[in-house]
Amino acid sequence: MGKKELKVAFLLALRSLQRGSRSSVILTVLIIGMCFTNMIFLPSLLNGIGQSITKQIVDYEVSNVLVDPKTGNQYVTDLGATLDLINGMPGVERATPHYYKPATLKYRQRVLDVSVRAIKPNDEKMVSPLYTKMIAGSYLGDGDTGEVIIGKPVAGDSSVRREDEFQPSLGGVRVGDSITIEYGNGYTKDYRVKGIFSTGWYEADNTVYVSWTDMELVNGKPLDQARSITVKAKPGYSEKFIKNELQQYGVSQRVQTTSELLSKSMGKSLQSFAIINMVSLIVSILITTVVLFIVITIKTINSRKQIGILKAIGVDKEVIMHNYGFQVIILGILGIVLGILLTLVLSVYMAYNPIVTPDWSATLYITPMDLFINSLILFVAAIVAGYVPAYQISREDIQTAMRS
Amino acid sequence: MITIEELRKTYHMGDIEVKALDGVTLEIEKGEFLGIMGASGSGKTTLLHMLGLLDEPSSGKITIDGIDIAKLNDYEKTQFRLYKLGYVFQDYALVPDLTVMENVSLPAMLRQDRTDEQSRAGSFEVLQKIGLCDRRDHLPRELSGGQQQRVSIARAMVNKPDILFADEPCANLDSENSRMVLDLFKEINEEMQQTIVMVSHEEWHTEYFHRIVKLKDGKVFSDGINGSVTQ
Repeated sequence: MGKKELKVAFLLALRSLQRGSRSSVILTVLIIGMCFTNMIFLPSLLNGIGQSITKQIVDYEVSNVLVDPKTGNQYVTDLGATLDLINGMPGVERATPHYYKPATLKYRQRVLDVSVRAIKPNDEKMVSPLYTKMIAGSYLGDGDTGEVIIGKPVAGDSSVRREDEFQPSLGGVRVGDSITIEYGNGYTKDYRVKGIFSTGWYEADNTVYVSWTDMELVNGKPLDQARSITVKAKPGYSEKFIKNELQQYGVSQRVQTTSELLSKSMGKSLQSFAIINMVSLIVSILITTVVLFIVITIKTINSRKQIGILKAIGVDKEVIMHNYGFQVIILGILGIVLGILLTLVLSVYMAYNPIVTPDWSATLYITPMDLFINSLILFVAAIVAGYVPAYQISREDIQTAMRS
Repeated sequence: MITIEELRKTYHMGDIEVKALDGVTLEIEKGEFLGIMGASGSGKTTLLHMLGLLDEPSSGKITIDGIDIAKLNDYEKTQFRLYKLGYVFQDYALVPDLTVMENVSLPAMLRQDRTDEQSRAGSFEVLQKIGLCDRRDHLPRELSGGQQQRVSIARAMVNKPDILFADEPCANLDSENSRMVLDLFKEINEEMQQTIVMVSHEEWHTEYFHRIVKLKDGKVFSDGINGSVTQ
């Protein structure tokens, strides 16, 4: 098969698409484009959900590395020394402790059970973007006592009746209002609401934050223990590196990276996502393959006589086969380009209109590699689907073809 | 020169055996304008298809310029058709998506011994000869039947074949266009010493042929010029 034969095959293919049935070309390209979009949409959405959940967990729960007590222990003890040790390690941006206490909030007639989380506000700023999520009032300071910041769902909305609420709330607390917190140990205290935040992460938004200093007052003694320490890595340092460092430097608590925590907590979900992705991918490939197979088969059947004539005037069967092959390649490329455009349009649309749930908000998460791999898979499927009928018809003898 | 020896073609339609050709022996000289005539079903198109390497005989031998065509493989037959033979069909058989120029150029573009420039020049020349240069960018559907058939002849001639086969080229044309096509064949034959083998059932076409072979029931019924039967 020489250059001249390929040139003739390409000319025949191009002219057939240019001057043949335009609606058939448009429909075929549209179907390939839709299949491409279908192939990439669901996995990207699931990836987006995964990315969103991961980001929220990193931002508001565990950061890059989580240090928590070994099995059998309730607290990370000797907190001051441990924090000094971790904060002095290379690659660590900041380590900050968390301490939780179950409590009951009271505001007017409303009573709400929540978890009160003690943080060191300035250190927390270096680890979590919570301080940027204030929608009213302001963030906590290290020395704040008698002040709390609460999530928007906890504060509630005074314009919504209690029976209409999505979840129980304090019914419309505003900045400056006083709420009562009754801790599990019986300690009761009135707090001024310093700020209200909204992170979009369910766990964080249903938490009440107080300063470490305040929690020491609640406990009645200096707090040298924590439920966990979250460690933020400096840019360029991997979670794995930080974990190894912590272990080498003698941190005797349990040390887990975010990836490890996620694979434990979301392993099953990720497996399910992978199965859904695979099913979606296979269905899309099958649809594309079948559609192109039908399109090219119809084209070849309708052109049998012409194929016979071409052979009669000395056009080789390879040229005839590649003619249809080129048609599929052109249709495939156009379909994939359309699919990429549709996907990008959807991606931009969803960036402005993300899917929002109380737990997460997700957009499409698409990488150039996703686009490349899906394009390649679809392209190969298209070529197979086109060449099979083209090969069959090109082998037909001239008389049979011409008599059709 | 074409030599045909005891050519037979048998079709099987269920239990029925149909002898389309039954022992045809002929010689066709270079530069001849040969008419193959006969009633419908006499085997004239079958004979033309055998000579044009479009079908294979059940038995017998065809030799074209000393080459036993039965010994050619599939690819060699394709190349033989491309370089040595030209074919004009009853229904023009142009590629509908190609312009007149592209249709005519198609066989020329496949020739390894010609550059693209030579192919274009050759196609232009042959289009000029048939008087359709001004319609070269038109699609076949934009032409009349006579014009389409002339384009078909141009396509058959573009590679300057040794033999031109025409299968009832005037069957779909009115008498004016038929005469135009036959005049063109005559001109090509006389000016270029082109061997032409044409199938026809119109009696008035005989005035154009040097020699007429009449078939009946798959056999040569008569062979000669102006009714001068030699077999």
